[in-house]
Amino acid sequence: MSILYDEGQQAIATESRRVLDARMDKGRLLKLLEQVGEHDQPFWDTAVEQGWTALAIPEEHGGLGLGLTELGLVAQACGAATSGAPFLTGGYGLAQALVQGSDAALASEWLPRLASGEATGCVAFAEGNAALPPVSKVSFADGKLTGTKPAVAGGLKADLALVWADAAGEAALVVVELAKAERVAVASYDNTRLYADLTFTDTPATLIARGDSARTLARDVLARMAVVTAHEQVGGAEALLYIARDYAVTRKAFGQPIGAFQSIKHRIAEMYGLVEIARANCIHAAAQEGTDDFLLAAADARISATEAYDTNSRDCVQIHGGIGVTWELGLHLHMRRARSLAVEQGNLLFWEDLLVNELTGEKA
Amino acid sequence: MSELETYRAKALAFLQSMAPKYAREARSGNTVEQDLALGREYMAAKHDAGFAGINWPVEIGGQGLTHLHKIAFDSEEMQFGMPVQFFGISLGMPVPILIHYCEDKDFVKERVRKALRGEEIWCQMFSEPSGGSDLAALRTKVEPDGNGWKMNGQKIWTSWAQYCDYGVIVTRSDPTVAKHKGLTYFWIDMKSKGVEVRPIKLAGGDSHVNEVFFDDVRVEDSQRLGAVGAGFAVSLHTLMIERYIATDSGGFGPHLDEFVKLANETELNGRPAIEDGRMRSAIARNHAMRAGLDSITRRAFAMMMAGMQPGPEGSLQKLVAVRSRQKLSELAMDMKGTESLAFDEHAYVKTDWGTSWLNAPTGRIAGGSDEVLLNTIAEKILGLPQDHRPDKGVPFNAIPA
Repeated sequence: MSILYDEGQQAIATESRRVLDARMDKGRLLKLLEQVGEHDQPFWDTAVEQGWTALAIPEEHGGLGLGLTELGLVAQACGAATSGAPFLTGGYGLAQALVQGSDAALASEWLPRLASGEATGCVAFAEGNAALPPVSKVSFADGKLTGTKPAVAGGLKADLALVWADAAGEAALVVVELAKAERVAVASYDNTRLYADLTFTDTPATLIARGDSARTLARDVLARMAVVTAHEQVGGAEALLYIARDYAVTRKAFGQPIGAFQSIKHRIAEMYGLVEIARANCIHAAAQEGTDDFLLAAADARISATEAYDTNSRDCVQIHGGIGVTWELGLHLHMRRARSLAVEQGNLLFWEDLLVNELTGEKA
Repeated sequence: MSELETYRAKALAFLQSMAPKYAREARSGNTVEQDLALGREYMAAKHDAGFAGINWPVEIGGQGLTHLHKIAFDSEEMQFGMPVQFFGISLGMPVPILIHYCEDKDFVKERVRKALRGEEIWCQMFSEPSGGSDLAALRTKVEPDGNGWKMNGQKIWTSWAQYCDYGVIVTRSDPTVAKHKGLTYFWIDMKSKGVEVRPIKLAGGDSHVNEVFFDDVRVEDSQRLGAVGAGFAVSLHTLMIERYIATDSGGFGPHLDEFVKLANETELNGRPAIEDGRMRSAIARNHAMRAGLDSITRRAFAMMMAGMQPGPEGSLQKLVAVRSRQKLSELAMDMKGTESLAFDEHAYVKTDWGTSWLNAPTGRIAGGSDEVLLNTIAEKILGLPQDHRPDKGVPFNAIPA
């Protein structure tokens, strides 16, 4: 696939940014930070109305049949706006698992509902600092799931979850309806992510992949979500770059704009470098979807995007000085999101190891 | 296969046929003079085979192809370690500027042919002891002398000047106006009376750069390139010619594979070093960074093929790649421990970590220091203000020394 955006893709980028600029509201997002268990409904309504939930779902299941490049561009716009609903990435991961998994009936039942936004999805792989534990503590046997998945993004409200589990010593990917699970909200520094501990007690679930194929599919799903998230991180990092730039050309100290001081301007130039390297990796990774090089490209994108968003949130706040740490200015929305996204879909430690394993041919 | 891919394959076949005689291994142990002689032979062979002046007009002696063809050839050639270092600047900047500005076309054609065949080499004389990053602060002066000019002063960091036949130079012709307005640009014969070249030995042990002194050197007005007082604009034009060149995300040091190989073969604390988290982190971060730079390059290439102007992010390449090569070289030396203390001054910079480390600072300074590159990104791409410049608008001869 080309690494140059075509007209349709450019239109998606422009339109998603325009819509979010018009509809997102910093005051609303700040209020949501102080409420546990609430997401930004106006954002989600927008996502559904714009067809973003359908973008990457195949046409035969009621989707638009587009791919990672298009969804990535939407995610980038969402990242710039610190928009608040975790279902976009989780729903995509779940949909990909249903498309590639072994249960066609389940796919036909849920994919159209995920595409239309009538149902929402999440992905429960991680346990603690292990993004994809070698042996999950959640067990699956006889069509039933038992155990706890901690702090699952979107877990508090999603209808359906894709769960990484253990089936008598074998890896298993199962799909479970969350209405039948116990959910406990996690009070977080980024509450609109709807983190919840999900506890299953003989909860009915459907197996969609087992053993090596479960492992391969889980890694592919995680890599795909990581590429979507990397786009979101690039959107956030780029927004911070321009917020810092705009402040540096207007704020004056010692008789000149602070952007004239090299300590400030070089910091901002470095922010630009991080954004462009991460963006280039994202474009490449999205274009490698479905190829043998995808996992490595996803790792490159994820590592550089996490570094860019974390660094740019630190530095943008620093460039603002005192005003940067106020609640009202809201730079902390990006700071919080940079960290929550850095932990979701596998942290840097996970992706660094995975990348080296890919280079040296070791299997994780 | 696209036309460009076919061309790349043709280039590769030619380079492979040349490799036994001219590539890295054949050059090992050469003195600089032997290497230069070999380089001249290689350039002549390249000219004979139709791979010289790839993107220059046919009427001037080039191949009349696009700069994409040139980048394709150069990136293949870079893998072989051919003895081309003496000719890179010559053909990259001075000769194209001569082609553009010199009105004596027969003279130009003769110079182009000889420069392409490696028979003549051109240098570029910009930097001075009083100004490297601040180019317009230069002091080498020209004064009217009959129907021509008389030149006095000194240049520095001039690559390969000791082997050069000609050079281009920017000088101060009027000290009574603002610094960048009183400059004039010339070509000169390096064998002229009053030109003296003294090599400078660099930290890594080699002497490819020089000081060049001018003592009442006679310059004809026909050697002027561009108008009197237009020297700064011609200089900027010179620096823009090679804006899109073959790049190396490894910062012209060893490939990351070399580091991975070393970590696989080295034991650290009783385990393979590749299992050490510090090495793994360095490998992963460098891989992600280099992959990003490579992707930027591929996108720029794709944009040029589609007839579009590549984005300004290409300006990150040298800044990001060379400084990270410097740090990675240090880590590789740490991994080797006492073994890294043995040093071979003739070792190849792309396979030897010690050589890569010792020569990295040159890469971070030459062709725009890291700090100047950051200023350029901040000012030209992001619209941040210029630094406070006390010499702005002040006549050159009124600027406090």
